[in-house]
Amino acid sequence: MYRIIKNKGGCDKTYILIIQEKMRYYILKRLINTIPIIIIVSILVFLFIHLIPGDPARLLAGHQATLEEIMIMRDQLGLNDPIYLQYFHFLKDFFSGNLGTSIKTGLPIKEMLIPRFKPTLYLAIFSIVWASIFGVVTGIISAVNRGKALDYFVMIGAISGISLPLFWLGLMLIQVFSVNLGWFPTGGVDGFKSYILPSITLGAGIMSMIARYTRSSMIEILKESYIRTSRAKGLSEILVVGKHALRNSLIDVVTIVGLQFGFLLAGSVLVETVFSIPGLGRLLIDSILFRDYTVIQVILLIFTLQFIVVNLVVDVMYGILNPKIRYE
Amino acid sequence: MKKRMVFLLTVLMFVISVTGFAKSKELVIAVNANFISLDPHNLSDTLSGTAAATMYEGLLKYESDMSLKPLLAKNYKVSDDGLTYTFEIRKGIKFSDGTILDAKAVKYNFDRVMDKNKNLRRRRNFLTVKNVEAIKTNTVKIVLNTPYAPMLNRIASLRIISPAALKKYGDQGIITHPVGTGPYVYDKWVQGDKLVIRKNNSYWGQKPKVDKVTFKPVMENGSRIAMLQTGEADFIYPMPTEQVRRIKGNKNIEIMTGFSTIARYVTLNTNKDVFKNKKVRQAINYAVNKKAYAQVVKSGYLVPLTSPVPEALEYHADQTPYTFNLKKAKQLMKEAGYPNGFTTSIWGSNNTEDMKGMQFINQQLAQIGIKVEVMPMEEGTLANSIYGAQTPEEAKINMWYVNWSSFDIDGATKNLFHSDFIPPVSANTAYYTNSKVDKMIEDGAIETNSKKRAKIYAEMQSAIWNDAPWIFLGSDQLVSAKRKTTKNVYVMPDGAINLEKANTTK
Repeated sequence: MYRIIKNKGGCDKTYILIIQEKMRYYILKRLINTIPIIIIVSILVFLFIHLIPGDPARLLAGHQATLEEIMIMRDQLGLNDPIYLQYFHFLKDFFSGNLGTSIKTGLPIKEMLIPRFKPTLYLAIFSIVWASIFGVVTGIISAVNRGKALDYFVMIGAISGISLPLFWLGLMLIQVFSVNLGWFPTGGVDGFKSYILPSITLGAGIMSMIARYTRSSMIEILKESYIRTSRAKGLSEILVVGKHALRNSLIDVVTIVGLQFGFLLAGSVLVETVFSIPGLGRLLIDSILFRDYTVIQVILLIFTLQFIVVNLVVDVMYGILNPKIRYE
Repeated sequence: MKKRMVFLLTVLMFVISVTGFAKSKELVIAVNANFISLDPHNLSDTLSGTAAATMYEGLLKYESDMSLKPLLAKNYKVSDDGLTYTFEIRKGIKFSDGTILDAKAVKYNFDRVMDKNKNLRRRRNFLTVKNVEAIKTNTVKIVLNTPYAPMLNRIASLRIISPAALKKYGDQGIITHPVGTGPYVYDKWVQGDKLVIRKNNSYWGQKPKVDKVTFKPVMENGSRIAMLQTGEADFIYPMPTEQVRRIKGNKNIEIMTGFSTIARYVTLNTNKDVFKNKKVRQAINYAVNKKAYAQVVKSGYLVPLTSPVPEALEYHADQTPYTFNLKKAKQLMKEAGYPNGFTTSIWGSNNTEDMKGMQFINQQLAQIGIKVEVMPMEEGTLANSIYGAQTPEEAKINMWYVNWSSFDIDGATKNLFHSDFIPPVSANTAYYTNSKVDKMIEDGAIETNSKKRAKIYAEMQSAIWNDAPWIFLGSDQLVSAKRKTTKNVYVMPDGAINLEKANTTK
């Protein structure tokens, strides 16, 4: 917020307060707006899940089960209840914080989810951090050297990064760095070291994407008149690019980073599978295969909440990066 | 100076001796799926069974050749009418929570698993049991409604939980607080990441030689092999057959194969016009080259079926094989009135191997003019498509590419060939109805004289084989791999990993 005030040229305390007040009001408004979104999403999630063919009781009991066993099981799981009642139970369990019980394992869903948050969160953070840093730097290098050999070289790298299949990249990294060189573990979540290969795998595509966005937005901005002015008044190229141009091009980058981070928080099934990371993505897939309704519902709703929060953070960051953006 | 040297040396020796002693023996076992439950009465997957078997024991146990031996029981008696099973329980055995194993504890377990309201998954094994009584401190009597020959196998499958722990943790809590009499005790279970068990220091039998075993679910085949190569895993199961060649030259790794109770087959809906004629079904069996199937789909790790049940099962009886013979197949098709074949479809799971298998069937049957549409489906959809049909007439299924595993012959035939078990009741998707076979399945299950029983089952297998309601493909060989330092860890025919005598020279 300070930047905005400086730009106004003074330390007007009432102004700061007004801005802070506006911000608070804005965030509150956004949060209230999420309530209908959550209700709609919860209904959609619930309906979709119950529309996929497949009976959890049958999948749970297996082909060897008898009809009688399955009938009792359906009853116990509440699958014979009217659909609105099942929806109601789901909402009640979710918002009371107890989250309910998994159909498949019989364990409280809370117990299954909590240990899986950390690996997914770490993986998302590590991946996005290195991808952003490298992506922005290579993007700038490319933009500044536009049309030169270096630009082509970097952009070819970026395109390969986007198009490499994650699965293949992960297995290759394991073969080279774990099996042949023995530097990193092949998988699991024992310590920081085990996150390095998966983060590289997961971040590669994102880094390339960030690099491309940074480059194109940087190229646009380098054409602006205020850049010409800065150069004309004799500022060093580093200052021109690194400060004036970069900050303005970051708006696009923040959008991409925010969006990608939202996706990463939902866990990457492929990377989690290749590196045996017990994350949310894999839990979701396992649950879908088993029609573990209760778990699927909870996970999807949590993902929705995560997306809403990330979006909010991104919107607030816009204002910090570009004071012209106002919160109404 | 000298004093200091002596002191340093002493410290050094102490450190060496302590670290030497403290080096605990540990094993890491990488498997291909998540554990679902550790409640031995309420699990149906083999993998969870493996884990439960390290911590829990039953009255009887399976040897590696699938024969039964007393374990928690000292001995047992079966009454002549086959209705009463009396078990004398070994004295002095304690659960890992310190409570005593006695007849009451055993009864408590039987009552729990038989409770209709709880509907635990193992209840289906005890539907013929009338009641269980603790007649003396260490004697328990199991009374059946009708004689039931596979009862000993079913009793062996029931693992005994500490009643005190059940009361303390409840039906849900017991999943993550296992308390049994087994050679290992529970340490921790990090959902999706690992399950750790430790040596039970007060185990009543021969104590395990390793101190700690960690199970790691590693779904991706390539990653599982990589773990074995780096030494992060000491044993992996299953070893992906298509990648055996990749590690064959590795001096540190050994690949192991064993026979299994898994039968692989394709059901032919005998209720459909085209499959009604026995000659068509036999022709199909002659037209499929099982040896080629083993090579193409299972990388050679499969033995052709020689009866409707795998060789690993007791009472298996060899039949004359349907040796690959196109001429004969075509002749039979002609006799059946389909000289130019017909069009049909095959259902199966959408995993890579099953799709390959279905594609293989498609190619083989094309040789006798049968056009097979391959229809892979996701498990849930598949189950819905099969069991959604309420009557045989409604059934849309033609062929089903599937496999089945059971530890006794009753379990390996009843649900698949008895006419009472057509969908939606169970998995007789051949809609096979043969009153003679029905009767033999029923008779075999109540005949307690093993010679007579063998005779009944031999006849039953011959009848089914001749009727050919399936394409009899083969029985899997189970492939696992280990570091050479790993000793005495092996996969049982039912797919469970045995760790009883596990050791390591790491």
